[in-house]
Amino acid sequence: MDMKKVWTVRRNDYFTESLRYFRVMASSGLIVSMFLLIVIGSIYYAKLIKMLPENFPAELLLAAVFTYWLTRSPVRTLLKKADLVFLLPVESRMKNYFSHALKYSLAVQLFTTLLLFTLFWPLVQAFIREDTMGYLWFAMFLLLSKAFNLYVSWEEQRLPYAKQRRGYMFLRAAVNAVYTFLLFQNASFVFLAALLAVMYVLKNFVFGVFKKMHGYQWEHLLQKEHVMQMKVYRVANLFTDVPALQQTMTPRRWLNWLTSARYSPGKVLGNLYMKTFVRANDYLPLYIRLILIGWLFIYLIPDGWWQTAVILLFLQMTALQLCAILLHHKRNAMFELYPIRWDQKVSSFASWLGIITAVQSVFYALFYFAEARDALVALIIAAAGVVYSKWYVPVMVKKQAIHH
Amino acid sequence: MKRILEVNGLSGGYVPEKPVIHDLNFHVASGEIVGLIGLNGAGKSTTIKHVLGLMEPMKGTAAIAGKTFREEPDEYRGCLSYIPETPVLYDELTLWEHLELTAMAYGLEEKTFLQRVRPLLEEFHMENKIKWFPSEFSKGMKQKVMILCALLVEPDLYVVDEPFVGLDPIGIQSFLDYMVRFRNNGAGILMSTHILSTAEKYCDRFLIMHNGHMVLKGTLKQLQEETGLADAGLDDIYLLAARGGKL
Repeated sequence: MDMKKVWTVRRNDYFTESLRYFRVMASSGLIVSMFLLIVIGSIYYAKLIKMLPENFPAELLLAAVFTYWLTRSPVRTLLKKADLVFLLPVESRMKNYFSHALKYSLAVQLFTTLLLFTLFWPLVQAFIREDTMGYLWFAMFLLLSKAFNLYVSWEEQRLPYAKQRRGYMFLRAAVNAVYTFLLFQNASFVFLAALLAVMYVLKNFVFGVFKKMHGYQWEHLLQKEHVMQMKVYRVANLFTDVPALQQTMTPRRWLNWLTSARYSPGKVLGNLYMKTFVRANDYLPLYIRLILIGWLFIYLIPDGWWQTAVILLFLQMTALQLCAILLHHKRNAMFELYPIRWDQKVSSFASWLGIITAVQSVFYALFYFAEARDALVALIIAAAGVVYSKWYVPVMVKKQAIHH
Repeated sequence: MKRILEVNGLSGGYVPEKPVIHDLNFHVASGEIVGLIGLNGAGKSTTIKHVLGLMEPMKGTAAIAGKTFREEPDEYRGCLSYIPETPVLYDELTLWEHLELTAMAYGLEEKTFLQRVRPLLEEFHMENKIKWFPSEFSKGMKQKVMILCALLVEPDLYVVDEPFVGLDPIGIQSFLDYMVRFRNNGAGILMSTHILSTAEKYCDRFLIMHNGHMVLKGTLKQLQEETGLADAGLDDIYLLAARGGKL
């Protein structure tokens, strides 16, 4: 079996599939609104940088961001579940396959690293170094380190236990933290070269040894690949129905006080939606993100009653995205078979979602009050949120439900 | 005996004008276990989907207590519980939450729920796993969750699709004991399976399907008479039917 060919076929399939979803995204209006958001965002970005105080710890922030970015260097293997059966016999020849995978991920991530750095460049210019040479200088060191991290993180995946892998990941994180901190401190070339030497040693004499000791951890690699693919699908799923999307689940036991409810057949569905919201996929993180971004907007936009419009926009974004929960159990035969009508399912969902968005508007109102010290507008925001949740959300949910 | 499920002239399928099950007539009465038997692709699952009201018949009807799904959707669904071939669970609910949700969805009183759930958990050795999530369960345990949910409801009709795959021997026995007990209490059970020895031992009547048609039905004795294979076991009769032999 020609492993290079296997890889090429996989990669082309992946491109074709991604392109198809990308086309759907591009044709939906959301791309346009995202573009608008980016434009508005960049205006405020420039403003934000100007607003930062003289002693803003830019190098610490940059070091933290890039430590995370460099340490997180996953390799897309494009493995499929069935490979565990069908490719297991050719394990010895998989090296060829994986080296192509590694090259692919390297190309993608070098590019994204450059992109990320370019995004932060205005901040670097404001606080650390202004000239074009500086851009090239920082970029070069970041790319070198990215390549090291990617290669080494791949070797790290050979370790059989999650605990070991985590240990070596922390080692890398430590090296990256020192390296990026020195880099953005404008440390002299000698220090950086010394750290590059450390990386070289780590690569050859620590991480390089794993391949003599361990084979591939197939199940772990499959699991990782699965998680990465699902991330792609989840983004696409915001725009269109992705049949291959599988749900993920995090118990979040510390939130059990939110999800536990009295036994009451009348409220059965609201409780199920709540549990789904808290534990499934990233519904809860999405909600929190939207609250945080909303706060940022409240902070940046001049105070006044017009903030209400911004808040309603955020409530609408939240409600639209959380509508996915209504269809979350669509393929579950148990859910389908309960002696509960579809319209009942829809109306309990609407009242549940109304509570969620009402709570969200209270979060915004409180933040506005804390920030602007204006109780009247804060009350207007909360009131608008409640009106929206009570009267508009049910209408919107019904409209969404008809499509399915 | 009172007929719980009544299927009349049922045809249906996935593509218009191309039914995969043809003109089925059968019933399940109170106090009997009826075995639904056929090769892979014989149409058992399609039949079950029609009985559950998940597919619409092209012709004919399936009625529970005299009402079709179209006429009384809630009552229809409230009368049956279903154990699927492959367990389908909520990834984000614990075992206990599955049981609670099922009980609430079928409108059980809390007292009834608590009375029923304890002995069930003990019988299936799941009492110390109530806080587990499905991702922590083996295939057999997932199947047990499905069984527990179905048994909890104590409906008039059980629709059971190949329940034994993945279950351990004690689990199988516990399940069968429950089926027998509920049958004796007046429930009707429609069970699809490939395990013919078990079917022969536990089912009161059989429905044998082939290529979407109901080719044989009746008690073992009736089947033997009809095929002319006196003293033959269910497996012999089934093989004859499946190979399209003379009936």
